[in-house]
Amino acid sequence: MGVGKSCLLHQFTDKKFMADCPHTIGVEFGTRIIEVAGQKIKLQIWDTAGQERFRAVTRSYYRGAAGALMVYDITRRSTYNHLSSWLTDTRNLTNPSTVIFLIGNKSDLDAQRDVTYEEAKQFADENGLMFVEASAKTGQNVEEAFLETAKKIYQSIQDGRLDLNAAESGVQHKPASPGRPLAAPPAARDNCAC
Amino acid sequence: MNHDEIKSVVQEKFLSSERVTAFLCDAKVLHPDWVKKDRLLAIVEFGDEKAVFCLFTSCYPPKSFTDLSIEIVLPIDKSFKCEIDNKPSDPEAILYLNLQSRNNKYKFEIQMTPRVDNFVDDLFRGIEAVNNVPTQPEFVWLKKYHGRNDNDILTHTMVLPGGVPHTQSSAPVAIRESLIKHKMSDKEYEYTFTKRFTIFCGTWNVNDKSPVIPLKGWLSIDKEPPDIYAVGFQELDLSKETFLFDQTMREDEWYNAVINYVDKRAKYVKVEKVRLVGMMLIILIKEKHFSHVRNVVCDTVGTGIMGKMGNKGGVSIRFDLHSTSLCFVNSHLAAHVEEYERRNQDFRDICNRTRFIQPNQLPKGIKDHDHIYWLGDLNYRITELDPTTVKKLVNNNDFGPVLEWDQLKQQHKCNNVFAGYIEGDIMFKPTYKYDPGTDNWDSSEKNRAPAWCDRIFWKGDKIVQLAYRSHPSLNISDHKPVSAIFNSAIKIIDEEKYRKVYEEVIKQLDKMENELIPQVKVDRTEIDFGTVQYLELQVRTITITNIGKLPVEFEFIKKLDEASFCKEWLIVEPYKKCICAEETCEIQLKVLINKTSACKMNAGTDKLYDILVLHLYGGKDIFITINGTYQRSSFGCSIEVLVNLNMPIKEVPVGKLIELENKRDQCVSNQSTYSIPKEIWFLVDHIYLHGLKEPNLFEQPGFHSEILQIRDWLDNGSVDPIPGSIHSVAEALLLLLESTADPIIPYNLQSVCLRASANYLQCKQIVMELPEFRKNVFLYLCEFLQEALQHSAENGLDSKTLSTLFGAIFLRDNPNQIQEPQSRINKQVIDKKKAQFVYHFLVNDHSDLIFSR
Repeated sequence: MGVGKSCLLHQFTDKKFMADCPHTIGVEFGTRIIEVAGQKIKLQIWDTAGQERFRAVTRSYYRGAAGALMVYDITRRSTYNHLSSWLTDTRNLTNPSTVIFLIGNKSDLDAQRDVTYEEAKQFADENGLMFVEASAKTGQNVEEAFLETAKKIYQSIQDGRLDLNAAESGVQHKPASPGRPLAAPPAARDNCAC
Repeated sequence: MNHDEIKSVVQEKFLSSERVTAFLCDAKVLHPDWVKKDRLLAIVEFGDEKAVFCLFTSCYPPKSFTDLSIEIVLPIDKSFKCEIDNKPSDPEAILYLNLQSRNNKYKFEIQMTPRVDNFVDDLFRGIEAVNNVPTQPEFVWLKKYHGRNDNDILTHTMVLPGGVPHTQSSAPVAIRESLIKHKMSDKEYEYTFTKRFTIFCGTWNVNDKSPVIPLKGWLSIDKEPPDIYAVGFQELDLSKETFLFDQTMREDEWYNAVINYVDKRAKYVKVEKVRLVGMMLIILIKEKHFSHVRNVVCDTVGTGIMGKMGNKGGVSIRFDLHSTSLCFVNSHLAAHVEEYERRNQDFRDICNRTRFIQPNQLPKGIKDHDHIYWLGDLNYRITELDPTTVKKLVNNNDFGPVLEWDQLKQQHKCNNVFAGYIEGDIMFKPTYKYDPGTDNWDSSEKNRAPAWCDRIFWKGDKIVQLAYRSHPSLNISDHKPVSAIFNSAIKIIDEEKYRKVYEEVIKQLDKMENELIPQVKVDRTEIDFGTVQYLELQVRTITITNIGKLPVEFEFIKKLDEASFCKEWLIVEPYKKCICAEETCEIQLKVLINKTSACKMNAGTDKLYDILVLHLYGGKDIFITINGTYQRSSFGCSIEVLVNLNMPIKEVPVGKLIELENKRDQCVSNQSTYSIPKEIWFLVDHIYLHGLKEPNLFEQPGFHSEILQIRDWLDNGSVDPIPGSIHSVAEALLLLLESTADPIIPYNLQSVCLRASANYLQCKQIVMELPEFRKNVFLYLCEFLQEALQHSAENGLDSKTLSTLFGAIFLRDNPNQIQEPQSRINKQVIDKKKAQFVYHFLVNDHSDLIFSR
């Protein structure tokens, strides 16, 4: 049983909960177009295999991500304990401007909770991560987590922290005169790793 | 030549069953190195199949189909892609159309005209339709449209989607926007309801008069005040100044008069007012509706003197009311009885030249509206009837016989003008020409027949005309004013329902887009090869099934910082292929541990484990795990390790073997078990005892199966005699010598040996300095070979052949050294030198070397 990365992605792209979701053996791939500040942004989300044996391979996918969503399971402390090593990997293999969002999944299983909100919140604050508890099952906070990540990326672009011209910014901009019906507004890519 | 005429010429280029559904003129084909001008793009439909054609036009406009030649054919199939961009330097006027079908990509430059909208819409309809059917269309009908050698598009039956890794894919948002628009308009009925509006349209040629009389009898005689007023005037001012400078006091006079005399029971506000010389159009709307009016734009077209002056022509105002687009046109067409053709032309010119320019949108024409109301002094007359008869009939209100000779009715019937428009029945007297100030027919010498010059037409769904009449009491002009009341259905968006439908559409598109991501099923992602032995090929198969709707191209890709997508001992066939929808592909995975990989396995620097990344272009990656246990063998061990093994290698613990391999440089004689590896001794001894007289010794190959048995005999240890024929044993010996981790003569000494090859003494010197166990093996083998040569009469050996064979084994080329592309001759020279080196030791007595130990 995993922490629920694929289920979060599925909930976000299809608005459905995928019960009995098999282990991801590889890197799945989903897209959705969202609107941030009136701009259409295409999120490209990579959902990587979480099993330890694939860790060396999944490292290749961090490069060029504009954002990363790191997921643990609030009902299993072991998944929470692993976060710092995942975070180290993420920081080492992405840009300094990559937005990292921490998600405590399975918030619907509050009775089996093994990690308190406060503890995780403190970890997130100490490491400068955005944080939310979500449930891929009920859909609670799923939309928010992805949208907030996208917003933060968009902000980084606006502030000039993320350089669109850098090959590994993870964001592609389609130049166009805005509003023209046949033109393409900016597209963004957002990766999900962990 | 108008659009429809060109279209019929283009249509002639094709069969009648192949319908041209849209086309664009003045396109260019762009290529990094050249530009082809004067191209025409057409979408052609045959049954359910569509294709885009690019035609060269030898003259413009093309007068016959012979002026067109087909250059490019792009079938709209599942591989078809379309991306639209604005030209960065001129985004308002030029679009780039990137079309891709099968393996062909083209970039076209097109002019931004209102036609582009239609063309692109049609294109997307085609793309959508083809992606909604499960099977790939065949496009048999296209086969006749391309040359045998050039652009042989249909011979590329294999469909390759994109071929761009998904990190670079950027599904064009423009297409999506257009799709959303298209889908939303399909579902319009789900989120709109209609409300009826009454619209007053009035037209009056005021013949250069000021509004000196009240207009109430024209504008305000109905039971209910209308929701919208559209009031058009002609000949507001006939002065030269107005004509030349387009300025007149009358504009305000008449505007104020209209404001003063509209129905007082409702409050009206101005939507827009537009004037060109003497033509003016005023639109008023009830104040309560004003907030639902959007995108008000007007335009004027002069068709008068020189075809462009404003003494004749049309003025138009367009706006959106709720979600219905309305267009009002007030026109004054060419005068004179016989000039009806000119009037038809004026109509067409106004249609073609009216452009409503809105920021950030394609310009709209008159026809691009849901409702069109066209009023004005259209100036069509009565012909073929003499004035007296006309006057007699109309005075008796017997309009029928006269209207039969009305030029406009006749031209309208032939679709020469106002095609698609409707006019209500005329139940009023002709509105022209009167003696001003009276209701009397024109008494001037010209004695013209009275005519219905002033008319109102409309076009659009759900429009009902409630009244169509003239107002004779307003008699200051030589024309009488005319008006019509319409009851028109205006579409209103239910915001809540709209949002729901919109969300549904977006969700559907998101789903579609995610479904179009390549999907495959791999029957297993973990492959266990079990026990793998030296030189024994093992094969496993995985099956990839394309469960998506599009062809999928897969490729095994490299992992981060790795040179190859898999380990050297693994062969993947095919490693890259395209699978059509619902088809499967078998991939063979072959493991073969040869001399190169065996050394690494023995030394523990590699193991039978790998993760392959199976990448789908435009889609996900699948990890395939390869696993197995390598059974260690004396083949691939270093000589220094073998001399230390006093038991069969199978009985040596793995850890011990790795330890020995890693310490092989420190191996010294006094601690070692043997002076040469026992495996070499077994094989040599066997040949010595049983095979020295064997014909073709070392030249006839052994059997692979026997060689494997010999390998097992050596590795497992046995009391039985060595299995297999002499030839198999001889080959096993060669393989064993060839597979040792380090060659018998170290790589770093090779060049020295080659240089010394002509000089026996020098060669001897080098051999003296070889690492101890290698020197032992070298001399032992040379002694043995000399013995074998004693029996050359039986075994057919000669020293030349043997020295060539063993030269290549003793002096192995370093596989890790990047080999310079050796010329064939150079390689021959080196091989010769290697042989020469060994030759000395096969023909000379070197027992002194042995005894020097």
